[in-house]
Amino acid sequence: MTRTLNTTALNRRQLLQGVAGLTFVLGAGGVREVVASTQTDALDVNPWLTIRAHGGISIVFPSTEMGQSSYSTLPQILAEELDADWDDVEILQLNEDDRTFGNQLFGGVLYTAGSTAVQAYFEPMRQAGAQARAVLLQIAARAWGVSSSDLRTEPSVVVASDGRRMSYGELAGMGAEGVTVPDAGTVPLKASADFRIIGHDVPRRDVIAKSTGRAQYAIDVDLPDMLHASVARAPVEGEVPLSVDDSDARSVPGVVEIVTLPDGVAVVADSLWAALNARFSLDIQWSETAAARSFNSADTLNAYAAAAEDPQAEAAVWATKGDAQGAIAGADRQFGQLYLSDYAYHAQIEPMATVASVDADGMGAEVWAGTQTQSWTTRTVMDTLGTTQDRVRLNMMTMGGSFGRRTAFNQDYVRDAVLCSKAVGRPVKVTWSREDDVKNGTFRPAAAQRIDAGLTADGKLSGWHHKVATPTVIGFFNPGRWEAVRPNDVISMRGAESKFYGIEDFQADHIITEREARLAPYRGIGAAYTSFAAEAFMDELAEEAGRDPLDFRLDLVADNPRGRHLLERVAEMSGWSDRGDRALGLSFAGYSSSMAAGVAEIELDQDTGEIRVPRFWTAVDAGLIVSPDNALNQVEGGIVFGLSSALLERIEIENGEVLQSNFFDYEVARANHAPVMDVYFAEVDAPPTGIGEVGTPMVSGAIANAFHALTGKRLRHMPFTPDRVLAALQS
Amino acid sequence: MTTFTLNGQQVTVDNPPDELLLLVIRDALGLKGTKYGCGAAMCGACTVHVNGEATFSCQLGVADVEGAEVTTIEGLSEDGTHPLQLAWIAEQVPQCGYCQSGQIMRAAALLDRNPNPSRNEIVEEMSANLCRCGTYQRIFKAVERAAQEV
Repeated sequence: MTRTLNTTALNRRQLLQGVAGLTFVLGAGGVREVVASTQTDALDVNPWLTIRAHGGISIVFPSTEMGQSSYSTLPQILAEELDADWDDVEILQLNEDDRTFGNQLFGGVLYTAGSTAVQAYFEPMRQAGAQARAVLLQIAARAWGVSSSDLRTEPSVVVASDGRRMSYGELAGMGAEGVTVPDAGTVPLKASADFRIIGHDVPRRDVIAKSTGRAQYAIDVDLPDMLHASVARAPVEGEVPLSVDDSDARSVPGVVEIVTLPDGVAVVADSLWAALNARFSLDIQWSETAAARSFNSADTLNAYAAAAEDPQAEAAVWATKGDAQGAIAGADRQFGQLYLSDYAYHAQIEPMATVASVDADGMGAEVWAGTQTQSWTTRTVMDTLGTTQDRVRLNMMTMGGSFGRRTAFNQDYVRDAVLCSKAVGRPVKVTWSREDDVKNGTFRPAAAQRIDAGLTADGKLSGWHHKVATPTVIGFFNPGRWEAVRPNDVISMRGAESKFYGIEDFQADHIITEREARLAPYRGIGAAYTSFAAEAFMDELAEEAGRDPLDFRLDLVADNPRGRHLLERVAEMSGWSDRGDRALGLSFAGYSSSMAAGVAEIELDQDTGEIRVPRFWTAVDAGLIVSPDNALNQVEGGIVFGLSSALLERIEIENGEVLQSNFFDYEVARANHAPVMDVYFAEVDAPPTGIGEVGTPMVSGAIANAFHALTGKRLRHMPFTPDRVLAALQS
Repeated sequence: MTTFTLNGQQVTVDNPPDELLLLVIRDALGLKGTKYGCGAAMCGACTVHVNGEATFSCQLGVADVEGAEVTTIEGLSEDGTHPLQLAWIAEQVPQCGYCQSGQIMRAAALLDRNPNPSRNEIVEEMSANLCRCGTYQRIFKAVERAAQEV
């Protein structure tokens, strides 16, 4: 099927709401704008790009940017197939919940998470670019009276066999009579050897702004007449303000209004300084009846550990193959071990901030926020105002880090800005302090994991049973989703499937424990702790088998040649076979379908218990690498993130209150923690599988295994804080 | 009233004397390149120069800079072409970018007093500033690149 052209004049907003076909927008001088649209089964009809008569090319960026650089990478994919000059491309942030641009790996929801953006949009954006290029070729063919097949393109130019040339901008201005839009999937895509952008180091679009202080985050937005708000939030989840004495707060110069929120009290003032000062003058009586008052992280982890060790504990099967328990029971020797991990906080450096400007009738709003989802931010505003989607105008701001922090279905920081603006009838910016962000954090869950396995007489693995006692994360941060997917929680369990190994008799179970903290997805999600347990235990098994940790793992990748290559490569990079006295630890993990083998070299201060990681080597297979230098940056950052999580990061909760409050009691990795990193990317002929998280899950296991190489002792409780290290040394 | 020099221009503000210099720079004077991250001298996102020294602007009241010379990322160079900024672009350092103004300001103060720092000196100095995206290795390379060009 082909579609003919629609020459109705349309404004940009209408186009973004989804008009079928290739649309030529008429201006005074004739057709001045071409909007090409994709049609795929997955995405229906999407106006992804506009080519203007003067040559500018606008490409829609459907995700949101938090440092992962898909803001540059996704448009590059389309520009490649369009054969556009990247310098001609303007990137348009998608600022509405238009599901025609949805992320198909999240059921069409506009959701930037799970290292999915390039995976999900790679094909549709290539198709969109190829379709548009085919249309430009037709226009040129018509103009020159030749066949499209006699034409070729150079960056933003169509070239005829006799050397005549016309720019994309000229062609866009020539009218489209008689031109048809080929169906997506019918236009041949470029061979990878012809790529000029994909696989090449095209600079990120946002680096200059981010190197000159000009990048604008939600916390930087200023509007005329805007007020500032600071919110005193309930000290314990579930508590509410019963009464507020705000007389002192109202006397602080600059205070405009005190707004009682469902779970907090906001001071709205003409400066953030005034709002902060007044906030601490509020005398709030909070309810004291919330169930969360009983949350104590030490007890929680003990309870999870007991569940993991209880053979009778009820569990949902997460992954299974063969007969794990039978194989273990029938093996020559059996081994089992318990691994623990604490709550962890995202620690994105930009704390939560949102600007809202609610309409005079209270039934609409413009909102400036950095979040990982246009869909749920829109939903939050709609629910807060009781209004319809057409009354919500979003501005999705680049984020000062996120790592899963801004993914929730209900976004309280957005809600509060909307409620404050509605109350005062002026634009309001809500800014969380660092202490607010920690105390009201949503955490990677604590987890206790028991793994059992068998060894054959000749030292090979026989059966693997991995039990993860941790709550459902989805059940908290997106309850509606949980109803659809339960009992399968990929956020809590990812990695426990150990799918990169070919273990014949395998089972992974989720013991869904009580939730005793606020939870959220977190860089690496479940793999941040399941891969720690799995890779630390793999090393323990190798030792029990009397085998080298590399050889023991190589047994298990016979059917995964790409994985085998990574293990062999990282061994070569790190000098594994002649490591001598160097304290090296090996790990093999990954994220989703991206794999990474890593080797950590550690040093230990035996007196203080402080571990340092001077070197880290990794070999990564993430399929096709679209943007190599950014991929390298992401993996380097992922390793530092994993190191930080392994050595430093721990949230504690007592009587429902988070004990930590800022970076002095919640430390994250600094420059002097960063290892020298060597990163290798496998060159493979396979689709891209995501790069944002693959660097993280392997790190903790590699460090724990290096610690054993150095000391003969095992670290089984993450993070490996000095007190735990000293305790292990003395064990 | 507090009068000080901001990026080469004399400014006078009537903010409360104890209002954080960080907030005065951002909200009263409208220069948003300097960031709030912790308010506790722990992350360095707010780093500016006060009389040439890298300083946490979240730790000063505005009255503390009476008569001082304050430089922010906006004033480091006229057009964003300070050797460190060019090095940051060449090394493609930023990910989220939120900490990078503070990183660049700290590195600039280091190079001002030590134009040819060793890797260890760079690591030590830059450990005052957090980068949660983990771009440290690139920060080191960018400072070294800029040092060669200063």
